Amino acid sequence: MVNFTIEEVRALMDKATNVRNMSVIAHVDHGKSTLTDSLLSKAGIISAAKAGDARATDTRADEQERGITIKSTAISLYGNLQDDEDLKDIVGQKTDGRDFLINLIDSPGHVDFSSEVTAALRVTDGALVVVDTIEGVCVQTETVLRQALGERIKPVVIINKVDRALLELQVSKEDLYQSFSRTIESVNVVISTYFDKSLGDVQVYPYKGTVAFGSGLHGWAFTVRQFAQRYAKKFGVDRNKMMERLWGDNYFNPHTKKWTNKGTHDGKPLERAFNQFILDPIFRIFAAVMNFKKDEIATLIDKLNIKISPEDREKEGKQLLKVVMRTFLPAADALMEMMILHLPSPVTAQKYRAETLYEGPTDDEACIGIRDCDPKAPLMLYVSKMVPTSDKGRFYAFGRVFAGTVRSGLKVRIQGPNYTPGKKDDLFIKAIQRTVLMMGGKVDPIDDVPAGNILGLVGIDQFLLKSGTLTTSDTAHNLKVMRFSVSPVVQRSVEVKNAQDLPKLVEGLKRLSKSDPCVLTFINEAGDHVVAGAGELHLEICLKDLEEDHAGVPLRISDPVVPYRETVTAKSSMTALSKSPNKHNRLYMIAEPLDEEVSKEIEAGRITPRDDFKARARILADDFGWDVTDARKIWCFGPDTNGANLLVDQTKAVQYLNEIKDSVVSGFQWASREGPICEEPMRSCRFNIMDVTLHADAIHRGGGQLIPTARRVLYAAALLAEPGLLEPIFLVEIQVPESAMGGVYGVLTRRRGHVFNEQQRPGTPLFTIKAYLPVMESFGFNADLRSHTSGQAFPQMVFDHWQLLPGGSPIDATSKVGQTVQEMRKRKGIKVEVPGIENYYDKL
Amino acid sequence: MTDSIPLTAPPVLSTPETHIFEDPTPVPVVQNTPRLTNEELWEIYEIARTAGELRHGGYKRVALQFPDGMLRDAPRVFEALEEELKRLPGRAVEVKQTDDLATSFNHLSTTSFSEQGNGTVKGEEGTAERVRLYILADTSYGSCCVDEIAAEHVDADVVVHYGRSCLSPTARLPVIYVFTTRPLEIPEVIQAFEATFPSKEEKVVLVADITYNTHLPTLHTSLLAAGYTNLLTPPIIHDPSSQIPNRAVEASIDLKEYSLFHISDPPQALLLTLSSRVKEMFIYPTTHTTSNPSALKPNTTSTLRRRYALLTQLSTCAIFGILINTLSVTNYLPTITALRALISASGKKSYTFVVGKVNAAKIANFSEIGGWVVVGCWESSLIESAEFYRPIITPFELGLALKGDAERVWDGRWRGDFGGVEEVVSAAKEADVEGKGENGEAEMARDENEDSEEESAPPEFDLRTGRYVSHSRPMRTTLASPGSQTSSTEASKVLTRRAKGDLVTVNGTVSPGAEYLRNQRTWQGLGSDFAETEASQDIEEGRSGVARGYTVGEGGERT
Repeated sequence: MVNFTIEEVRALMDKATNVRNMSVIAHVDHGKSTLTDSLLSKAGIISAAKAGDARATDTRADEQERGITIKSTAISLYGNLQDDEDLKDIVGQKTDGRDFLINLIDSPGHVDFSSEVTAALRVTDGALVVVDTIEGVCVQTETVLRQALGERIKPVVIINKVDRALLELQVSKEDLYQSFSRTIESVNVVISTYFDKSLGDVQVYPYKGTVAFGSGLHGWAFTVRQFAQRYAKKFGVDRNKMMERLWGDNYFNPHTKKWTNKGTHDGKPLERAFNQFILDPIFRIFAAVMNFKKDEIATLIDKLNIKISPEDREKEGKQLLKVVMRTFLPAADALMEMMILHLPSPVTAQKYRAETLYEGPTDDEACIGIRDCDPKAPLMLYVSKMVPTSDKGRFYAFGRVFAGTVRSGLKVRIQGPNYTPGKKDDLFIKAIQRTVLMMGGKVDPIDDVPAGNILGLVGIDQFLLKSGTLTTSDTAHNLKVMRFSVSPVVQRSVEVKNAQDLPKLVEGLKRLSKSDPCVLTFINEAGDHVVAGAGELHLEICLKDLEEDHAGVPLRISDPVVPYRETVTAKSSMTALSKSPNKHNRLYMIAEPLDEEVSKEIEAGRITPRDDFKARARILADDFGWDVTDARKIWCFGPDTNGANLLVDQTKAVQYLNEIKDSVVSGFQWASREGPICEEPMRSCRFNIMDVTLHADAIHRGGGQLIPTARRVLYAAALLAEPGLLEPIFLVEIQVPESAMGGVYGVLTRRRGHVFNEQQRPGTPLFTIKAYLPVMESFGFNADLRSHTSGQAFPQMVFDHWQLLPGGSPIDATSKVGQTVQEMRKRKGIKVEVPGIENYYDKL
Repeated sequence: MTDSIPLTAPPVLSTPETHIFEDPTPVPVVQNTPRLTNEELWEIYEIARTAGELRHGGYKRVALQFPDGMLRDAPRVFEALEEELKRLPGRAVEVKQTDDLATSFNHLSTTSFSEQGNGTVKGEEGTAERVRLYILADTSYGSCCVDEIAAEHVDADVVVHYGRSCLSPTARLPVIYVFTTRPLEIPEVIQAFEATFPSKEEKVVLVADITYNTHLPTLHTSLLAAGYTNLLTPPIIHDPSSQIPNRAVEASIDLKEYSLFHISDPPQALLLTLSSRVKEMFIYPTTHTTSNPSALKPNTTSTLRRRYALLTQLSTCAIFGILINTLSVTNYLPTITALRALISASGKKSYTFVVGKVNAAKIANFSEIGGWVVVGCWESSLIESAEFYRPIITPFELGLALKGDAERVWDGRWRGDFGGVEEVVSAAKEADVEGKGENGEAEMARDENEDSEEESAPPEFDLRTGRYVSHSRPMRTTLASPGSQTSSTEASKVLTRRAKGDLVTVNGTVSPGAEYLRNQRTWQGLGSDFAETEASQDIEEGRSGVARGYTVGEGGERT
């Protein structure tokens, strides 16, 4: 029985100040979906008894089976505050009544699916960061937190699995307190690293109520605030003052009946207020229940005023514990309260997010609409991902209204990621068929949705591949394209077993590409259908979906392969020269490596071809030591006009240069897409045009003469500059007990891994090892690691950077790299030997 | 930065003359074979047969077409032919109907020299006019095709084609083919054959490259003698669309049961065509170095896959260039018309080009074009090179590329001739008719809310890059809107809506070429970069006055 109706939800949507859009983010297995369950049970979507086991937001069969979340799932909840008093605690933003609408997105924790997290974060304003009491802050916690802060999303924290600390580790109260404060400390370290002035201080403090403690599995949680509320009456102090006293070095001296911040009285240690007032009742309940002390349980229950039905009272052990704790400290209440009180409403959040969300000028109508979260402004809606419908091959476009109101039948401009204002590339006009409310696996139709809310759209899925902007303003720019922390660096090719099934495979690949924010499907130059994913698990899930669902035909799947990039490692040993076919035109170029930092900035979208060239030149000159004149004369980025290779004009006073720019740029795009070594894309190369000689007649310096010549001279310049091959590298984080560390090191060494950090988690025998591992060597790494550590090590791998493939020059066929190159060329069906420089370099 | 690495030589400001007239096309390798003796020349160039046929046909002006590699023999062949023609009794011929010619030359078999024609030949000996011979070289397209246009320049009645030929049916002139037979070591071939097919019952088709074809009957008999029972040696015909191109194979024969033994390396197009049609294919190399050659199995899968990648890449291409690479193959004009219809039926734009011999530089001049279709003889349509700026595909591949992802099946079947195009066109037309039905409904719906902007067509998924491509069918928009408005509702509407400014139109039709000029090119002609040049410094007031003493500014001091 859902205890709210669509009409109620719709009414709440209009009060944007009472909406909270939030995502649940964490490391894998820290209990996001389980915690979400308790919120759902509160909303009446699943029964209380099932909460914790149902994982209702894991809507796919394989999610339930594997026990991991793969897709992020959104659900709308109704929440309210008990007391008008509570409203006063909402600081810094306005509210309107005690009813709230919470749009919650449960996201996957495994690194391979972090693109789902990115998509979820874009449409939310707040994040509930779940941290395991025992494991603490892990690599993925840090990654998602960093992403959240990058999107200007305010975090609150819940420390989960406290029951394990009590039941399994049997820690003392003070140890538990210390562990809590250490975890909070490390969360705050991450937060302060990414301090953003406009977001303000978003560090979390238990005494401010931005940290909760609890157990998702047992369905209980508390914040210091809740206890402060109980004790405030008893002590007759202000609740806020009480909150501060219940955390940190605050003690209640029972002898003097006074609060103090000294830990001792007359040489005897005092008990910390947090331990005494908060942990003590919990510890007592645990002790009583787990030791089957019936009488004590009964007194405790009465004393704490916990109402339990008679049949529940009959339960024993963990069952009883669950019931008692859930009734004593319901998780949903604590979380709901924390979210409502401390997470920003869209109105608040969009004020500071508008400038980071919008690509265009900050003073146009679209941006002002976003800033004010104005339902009457022109529509600005960002579609962050596609959610499959029950109708095969069709999708709901899932997104958030940032400004204006979207309704069924509204004709909108759909702007794809490559849209530039004034041009008609990637721009479509279409009426929205229906708007729906996403409720986990189900949807509910809704007439219209005003600014600040999350929704699903029907009928525009064919226009957007993965994400895009919807607007009604002719002049609106795009909302910023999402940047993912993962890259599709693991590829497998698929082919149909039966040639007649090819159309089905092609259709399946299209659908697959839509259904996942990160996966890439394409045909390579050798004619293979390739599926590229972030990691082995990601790819496995995608291929399973493809075979069973999207395509539905038997497939042959190749071994995983890794994409390479071609680069240069030095400056060209001499100026490369190529002549046009008619010998009338000459291009002189030099290749040199581009700074890794610049390449990374370009790939992260912080230096883009669309920037104003003067501003870009300033950044390049100030931060990366470029010559300003050079930096202003960047002709283009490549491949695909936005890659991390640059073409720089360094010529002086060349006549007709403007005329040939298009041709040279075309040649550059072509050459950087298919490099000279093995037709792989180039990366991190800078090409300087040193000089150009052109024929005086325009007819002799047309594209036909210059495009092939530009390509040849680029190849020649690259071959003269000690070319190299880049391979993708994973950052691996492994949690392992000390005893199994030897095995981890063994496996890593054998696979060209290199450990750069090793740390013990305080208070545990667990070590965290961080290492770099070539993606090439990562296939089967998990299984290998498991067998060498008897299953005690848990790795997390995420693409980190590109690194030069060691072992010689790719041109030298006898070197190790040379052999890799030859193999690759063979696979592509091109001449096995790398063409020599004499093919491209012309003598004067 | 320039000063850190000095140029190896000072930049040259003018192009030295020596570079100007260099020919960019590669020079064919001149065979280092010893000069032929007269007897060999007569034999290889089949002087007697040629002269006989010429006399018999009563041709007065004869064009001799040589491939580049054989040009050095051309004068001697010319002399020999002239000599032989003088010796042969001349025959005056009544004017024949051209269509008779056309039928007769198609029946010309290379070996037969029987009394042919329609018996109207009158022998008037002694009055023979001198037959004029012309040597044609540097063919406009491929040397495998008959260069009819060049032959027409000399007003020739007949073309004698030397060397290997694609045997594509010609449109205008009768042709005498001389295949210039090359020597073949029959025992070695038999040895290799036996090594390849140990079983004597094996079903084998025996095919040789045109230049080795004359050896086939001998080989066939020797192999039969060696005990092979299921041998097939199909004779040459002029039909590239046959099951084995240019070889007569009865329709009842299922080639899938046969292996194919090919003497000498076949051209790539033939290899791709055959590989999917026969059970297995073996190639006996004729340019071998080892003493004991064996037949090799060619690997076509990787080539076919690359072709697949190319054609899928072009399925979202908006502008096609139709490249005419022949002017003689029959049906080339209807094929071009069919291709144009096919391209425009899928809402794409096509431009037609004739550039002579295709090379990378010529093709790259048209950067507006997203992909090229070559209409040429079946052998030269397949251009496999990474040097070209945009992919080049065959008409058959275009048919597949435009088929739509829901129907395209790639099972390795491939053909180089135009044969498939008509089928595809007719199929496309049918689909279009059906499409029209749907469009009709859509149009009605559109009429209802005519004031609002039209809804756009969804983008297409580019399989090659895995992204969405918008406007891959630029012509579709015009098909729907301005055309229908002007024709059907012209009378009823006094006011017609102007085409929207975001479409570039030339005479009312969308022009993707002009669109490219407007949006993609940064250089749009003289004067277009005028605004880009940086504004000069602010004007400052200078000095004024006379030389005795200048003033700076108003009321400034004298200096």
